[in-house]
Amino acid sequence: MSAIQVRNLHKTFQTKRKAAGFGGSLRALWKPDLHPVEAVREISFQMEQGELLGFIGPNGAGKSTTIKILTGILHPTGGEASVLGFVPWQERQKLAYQIGTVFGQRPQLWYHLPAVDTFYLFGKIYEMEEKALRQRIGYLSEAFEIEHLLETPVRKLSLGQRMRCEVAASLLHKPRLLLLDEPSIGLDVVAKQRIRETIRRMNEEEGVGVLLTSHDAGDIEALCKRVIIINHGEIIYQDKVSALKRRYLTSKQVDVRYSNALEPDFAIPGVEMLKVGTFGAKLRFDVRETPVERVMAALASAGSLVDVTVSDPSLEEVIRTIYES
Amino acid sequence: MRVELTRPAAKYWAILRTQLQNSFAYPLDLLARSVTILLFLWVFVNLWRVTYGAMGSQRIAGLSLADTMWYLLMAEAVMLSKRDLSKDISDQVKDGSVAYLLNKPFNFILYHFAAGLGDSLLVFATNLLLGGALVWWLVGPPPGVLGWAAAVLAALLALLLDFCISALIGLAAFIAEEVSAFRWIYQKFLLVLGGLLIPLDFFPEWLQNVSRALPFAWIVYGPARLFVDPSAARLADVLLHQMGWLVGTGLAVALFYRWVVGQLTINGG
Amino acid sequence: MRKTLSFLFSLWKTNLLSAMEYRVAFLLQVFGMMLNNAFYFLFWVIFFDRFEQVNGWALEDMFMLFGVVAVAFGAGTYLFGNALHLAGIIANGELDYYLSLPKPVLLHMLASRSVASSAGDFLYGLFSFVVAIVVTGEFSTGMLARYLLACVAAMAVVVGFLVLVQSLAFWIGNASLLTGNAVNAIITFSLYPITLFDGTAKLLLFTVIPAAFVGALPAQFVRTFDWASLGQLLLGAIVFLGLAIVVFYRGLRRYESGSAIQVRM
Repeated sequence: MSAIQVRNLHKTFQTKRKAAGFGGSLRALWKPDLHPVEAVREISFQMEQGELLGFIGPNGAGKSTTIKILTGILHPTGGEASVLGFVPWQERQKLAYQIGTVFGQRPQLWYHLPAVDTFYLFGKIYEMEEKALRQRIGYLSEAFEIEHLLETPVRKLSLGQRMRCEVAASLLHKPRLLLLDEPSIGLDVVAKQRIRETIRRMNEEEGVGVLLTSHDAGDIEALCKRVIIINHGEIIYQDKVSALKRRYLTSKQVDVRYSNALEPDFAIPGVEMLKVGTFGAKLRFDVRETPVERVMAALASAGSLVDVTVSDPSLEEVIRTIYES
Repeated sequence: MRVELTRPAAKYWAILRTQLQNSFAYPLDLLARSVTILLFLWVFVNLWRVTYGAMGSQRIAGLSLADTMWYLLMAEAVMLSKRDLSKDISDQVKDGSVAYLLNKPFNFILYHFAAGLGDSLLVFATNLLLGGALVWWLVGPPPGVLGWAAAVLAALLALLLDFCISALIGLAAFIAEEVSAFRWIYQKFLLVLGGLLIPLDFFPEWLQNVSRALPFAWIVYGPARLFVDPSAARLADVLLHQMGWLVGTGLAVALFYRWVVGQLTINGG
Repeated sequence: MRKTLSFLFSLWKTNLLSAMEYRVAFLLQVFGMMLNNAFYFLFWVIFFDRFEQVNGWALEDMFMLFGVVAVAFGAGTYLFGNALHLAGIIANGELDYYLSLPKPVLLHMLASRSVASSAGDFLYGLFSFVVAIVVTGEFSTGMLARYLLACVAAMAVVVGFLVLVQSLAFWIGNASLLTGNAVNAIITFSLYPITLFDGTAKLLLFTVIPAAFVGALPAQFVRTFDWASLGQLLLGAIVFLGLAIVVFYRGLRRYESGSAIQVRM
């Protein structure tokens, strides 16, 4: 049985527009200028039990809207969906016992209280036995390395620490499916890494399925087996992450700086030189054609290196490439 | 020297005008804010009609039913129009943004006064207009031009006096953790001792004397009473009291503010 | 039912824990509000000192009236504090949290905040009730039972009315000004002697602005029992709560969540 099944899901919002000034306000009162915005257009996909599925796309692509429909927060305008056998917007409460949710921009922990107080409240909300709850808190706080943070008021935690507590809270009731909307938003690299590792561990140990949205391709790359790319409310790509990497995350961009002056005609075979200055250069190459090792060796022998930055193509570039192909 | 004096004035005048334009931008909000005065006036006319009926006299303490209603209109108009600066200021003190405003080239307190006045004036006018229409329909025509002129002048000073007291309460957030209780109680002083619910003339003698000795009456009762009785003697009485309290509270605000700024710069906000 | 109650109690406990993080501010607000109400009541003391009564209402009736209204309003907005903030919660998309948890959305949301100053209203109401007993010299266990029932019914109407008005936010977006006026109206009207108002006005106070169910009716029921008042009281509570629930859940289908509606154009 699939964990999630979605067919032709559609969601249209009505937005109001108002002209400036007094006249505009009056007119908007009699006859509002309604303007439909299609946030999600005829999306169809499936997710298996225990799968790690990534949902990526730029801001406003419709990721959050889709996840909110799948949790029962929003009613769709059209289409069908089944999550763990429930129709979310009709059987929201029953579904809620089976899934865990984290909305990166909407904290669920009580701001002024230590996280453990929210954990106990959640125990009540999910109708857990006192003893089972205690054990669960013990297990999760070890897994998420938050034992020492449980008694501190949430407002005093760092963003990364808070997010670890948020994810732990969403796992208290042993959900079969975890829906994470932008869990890494605003986190630094180290904090992101820790969150990703723990989520993967929970997937391995408990078989909890994870549907994750992000606008950061790194999250998906590190965590997910399969990926769906969404833009303007439509699915533009879905396949294994390895396939995505093979096909689109192939180019690397490198910025280098040297302490000595470079030769003006500095070049490496098989590498596109974007810019060559006196003390630095910017270049791009395709890892399938030119091995990373060879490029790095060539860069190192060109002078004494001060700084190197290697970056993947941004999500926007990947989407552009997909559209172009 | 004259340029030196007028330039700052122009700055605050510009702040006031911008705030005024801002109120014009949301005419529906403006109307919605004025619903409250209609509500109160309607309750009052019922209360006082019954009370005058029960007393069986045309006048209570020299005021007719019509006088009382026009008095209450002016009182409510001042009360419901004035921007609650104590909240604005205490919020900024609490969240620390006061420290950022300190290095702007204007005086924090005067800025709030100008913005508050700009915000209040239009609401004051709509409240008077809508409320006045209701009262006229219920009890007959308003007082003459003299009453309007005297009351509006006194109402302006009343707003300033209220701003000074509100600023003191707002700045108190710097020492006290929570000032909302002060704010509520100040409102209630205006309500009862200020004469918002009942003309002070209906009070027993001793309580009238107490009220006259406190600043609250000169924010509400002063303009409202002038509205229905704009005699020269009363005008002088009201304005003198207002001026006196303005000087007193204004000085207190200035000193308190300087002390707060001092604390901020020493402790680094 | 028992599960729901135990859930509510743990919410209220969490609210209290949260308030205790700022003990001084909490107590200042509670006592400040009591003092505030006392100063307001001073108006009626002065008024009745001079005019003795209005259409049969005297100062002792006002004590009883405040005893019911302040307790109903205080308890309602302390236990279900978000009833005062619902419009904003809807407009800002803050229902997401409650919708992702397996409890009744309306109940969960309402009970997730306790307004500190409301505890002050509640305590002041109890005080006013005690004063009413002392002034009139009337007391019986039956009266105490009626007081309890009256306060619960009045509280149901207050909370129901607040939810009803603010649920309009599902249709019209930001309804904070409307809400402000509605709160002002129900408090103002419930705190005046109902004998001031004639037929049409009274009709309004039993329907559009149901202040009579919050003040005059329950207050009268506490002093003297009669079946008609009891019936009206229960009917009012059921109708307003029922309407609130129906309208809220109707609106919920139109709920547009958070950032989703902030489409940049």
